[in-house]
Amino acid sequence: MFKIDNLNLYYDKTAGTNTRKNTRKKTSNKTGKKDAYTQVIFDLSLTINEGEKVAIIGPSGAGKSSLLHHIYQQLPTRSALCSQRQGLVDNLSIYHNIFMGALARHHWLFNLVNLIRPFKQDLNAIAALCQQLELDQPLTKKVDQLSGGQRQRVALARALYQQQSIFIGDEPFSALDPLMTSRLLDIVLAQHNTVIMVVHDRALAMSAFDRVIALDKGRLVLDSQQQSVDQEQITALYQTNAVA
Amino acid sequence: MSQPKHPRHVPQVKNTQYPLRYWKIGYWQKLTLSIWLIALVIIPFADIEIVSFDPFLELTRMVNGLITPDFFATEYLFEAIIQTVNFAIIGVCLGLVLGAPLALIYQHPIVSSCCAFLRAIHEIFWALLFLQIFGLSPITGILAITIPFAATFARVFHDIINQSPDSPLESIDKRADIISRFTYGKIAQVMPQLMSYTRYRFECALRSSAVLGFIGMPTLGFYMETSFRQGNYSEGAALLMIFIALIGLIRYWCPPKLLGVYLVIACVTLVDIPNVDSSLLVRFITQDILPPAITNAATLAEVQWLSLSAWFSTLMLEQAIPGAIATITLALMALAATHFITLSAHTIASKHLWPAPFTWFGRFMLLIGRSVPEYILAFIFLMLLGPSMLPAVIALAIHNGCVIAYLAVKQSNAIAPQEMQMSRLNQFNYHIMPTIYPNMMALLFYRFEIIVRETAVFGILGIMTLGFYIDSNFSEIRYSNALVLITCTALLNVAIDILSRRLLKFPQATQASC
Repeated sequence: MFKIDNLNLYYDKTAGTNTRKNTRKKTSNKTGKKDAYTQVIFDLSLTINEGEKVAIIGPSGAGKSSLLHHIYQQLPTRSALCSQRQGLVDNLSIYHNIFMGALARHHWLFNLVNLIRPFKQDLNAIAALCQQLELDQPLTKKVDQLSGGQRQRVALARALYQQQSIFIGDEPFSALDPLMTSRLLDIVLAQHNTVIMVVHDRALAMSAFDRVIALDKGRLVLDSQQQSVDQEQITALYQTNAVA
Repeated sequence: MSQPKHPRHVPQVKNTQYPLRYWKIGYWQKLTLSIWLIALVIIPFADIEIVSFDPFLELTRMVNGLITPDFFATEYLFEAIIQTVNFAIIGVCLGLVLGAPLALIYQHPIVSSCCAFLRAIHEIFWALLFLQIFGLSPITGILAITIPFAATFARVFHDIINQSPDSPLESIDKRADIISRFTYGKIAQVMPQLMSYTRYRFECALRSSAVLGFIGMPTLGFYMETSFRQGNYSEGAALLMIFIALIGLIRYWCPPKLLGVYLVIACVTLVDIPNVDSSLLVRFITQDILPPAITNAATLAEVQWLSLSAWFSTLMLEQAIPGAIATITLALMALAATHFITLSAHTIASKHLWPAPFTWFGRFMLLIGRSVPEYILAFIFLMLLGPSMLPAVIALAIHNGCVIAYLAVKQSNAIAPQEMQMSRLNQFNYHIMPTIYPNMMALLFYRFEIIVRETAVFGILGIMTLGFYIDSNFSEIRYSNALVLITCTALLNVAIDILSRRLLKFPQATQASC
């Protein structure tokens, strides 16, 4: 489906969050603005095939989110992103935030009218989706009145409502309890052909996904497709990092 | 108040790492000191003498008028109120219609410089220009508000939209069309800010609408000026009170939902628009506003370039340059005075310093200070102190100081007090002031542009700013001179705007709130 060769990513301190891709012109950039950029991904090669369910794990600061956003940029029209930053519009209702997933499916005029007066059809679909995600809030409630876990599920619902074949998630369940996490993960896995997800819970990554990738300090250290990975190796990964 | 207080007791731990410095001048201190240094340096060159024959006689009559307001002295009071509101509502709505789309293309240098130019010309000058074409028609008043307001809306809306986070756009499907992405990801996000800014501008429009009365439009300002000039202080005080109430109670009589209703009422109750004489318009554009050397020439070849350049250099040397110097002198002194008023006004109205009933009084003072048009304030001080720059400086300082203090109080009252045992005064000096000072200074410098604009109004009162020369050229029917001077004023404002943006660095979000 897609392939990454020797990827190097830089974090642009001056611009805040922008990641910068430099596959070949590495040296020219590094010498000039050494202070402004920190390298977050080092010579990473990775191939992900259609239909795979991939979990990305690793200690914090390993470059997981940077890699994930890079993958999303490679597949902009086929994938739905559920980012850690959520990107909810505080001033809009739950309904409108979730509806944002469907913007591409409608004409702009339809979208504008819907902003003022929601359409019945989408209202029903979104109500059903919310029920599935155990989000029992009135759809007209503004998202700035929701709790952290509820906001996270609105962001998840918006990504699901895009109805894409590839789901890219950056710790989409971090504010939820383990039981709800596994229920919602099942829904995500069932509705998407390919899933690439940064997961916090190592045991969940091992049990629910076909393939586990581990990053450490910007390098790919484990890939269950090429080697057999067991719990001990992963635990060791986290522990060495904690000592260092 | 701006200087940080340093701890008096040096900790007993031996400090070998950091050299102890008790006095380090930071960015904000430098800025504050330079405002005051500049003001002190130019004071000897400014005309601020107090020349008054008998201030106390006038003062007692004013106070007398204030305690015996006469609400029934004005003959067309109701019509005046209606017209004031009408101009403001229609002006703001048209300004929104024109300005909001411009905000989307404001990043284009041509659009932004055109807007800066239009914004730099005061409503009064726009009105004086349109007065020559449309006469005392409502069109004059509405256009005079619409044009500068549209340019301001364009800039501020653009800033607000730009400063909002991009994260919602990131998660929206890239295949969605740009209109959907923009409305859902950006506009929906900043809507409350756009609304609250529009509400603030409506207050400004009411003030501008009243000020247009000073050059003859049938708004409250017209009757205010007349009664003050004639010494009918009872009538003047009543009009001022009505005007302050009108501004102070906006949120009750004009909630955003009713704006549409008011717009319809405004269009219905607008005084009849006289027919526009198109020949007058043509004449104004092709003859009146051209310099005499060009008007008299039939073809381009006949233009007397020598007399044209002589006319231009005389105008520059005798009017534009002295006017510009006076304008800048006045504005710089007003800036320092505004700084002083802002700090004191914020102090008297801060809820962190006083118990509730006192802050109500403080906020009421702020309301009065920001509602009374500068022109009336300057007029009152002119009576008391005699003709010089001083009344203008005081009027500008009171008005702008109260506007900034009002915004600063809104911000500082939203700050949660530190969870620590300390007196109100310590809380105020250590927590509140350091938190809001940068913002306050940013507002102050943003207002500087407005102060320069507003010096125009005082020209009509006889203070020799650029506005004075413009006004006298209009009354002498030398439109070409007036137009050149208006252009000079606008360019001066644009230059100051660019200069202050280059020189100063401010927290980004503040400009939009002013």
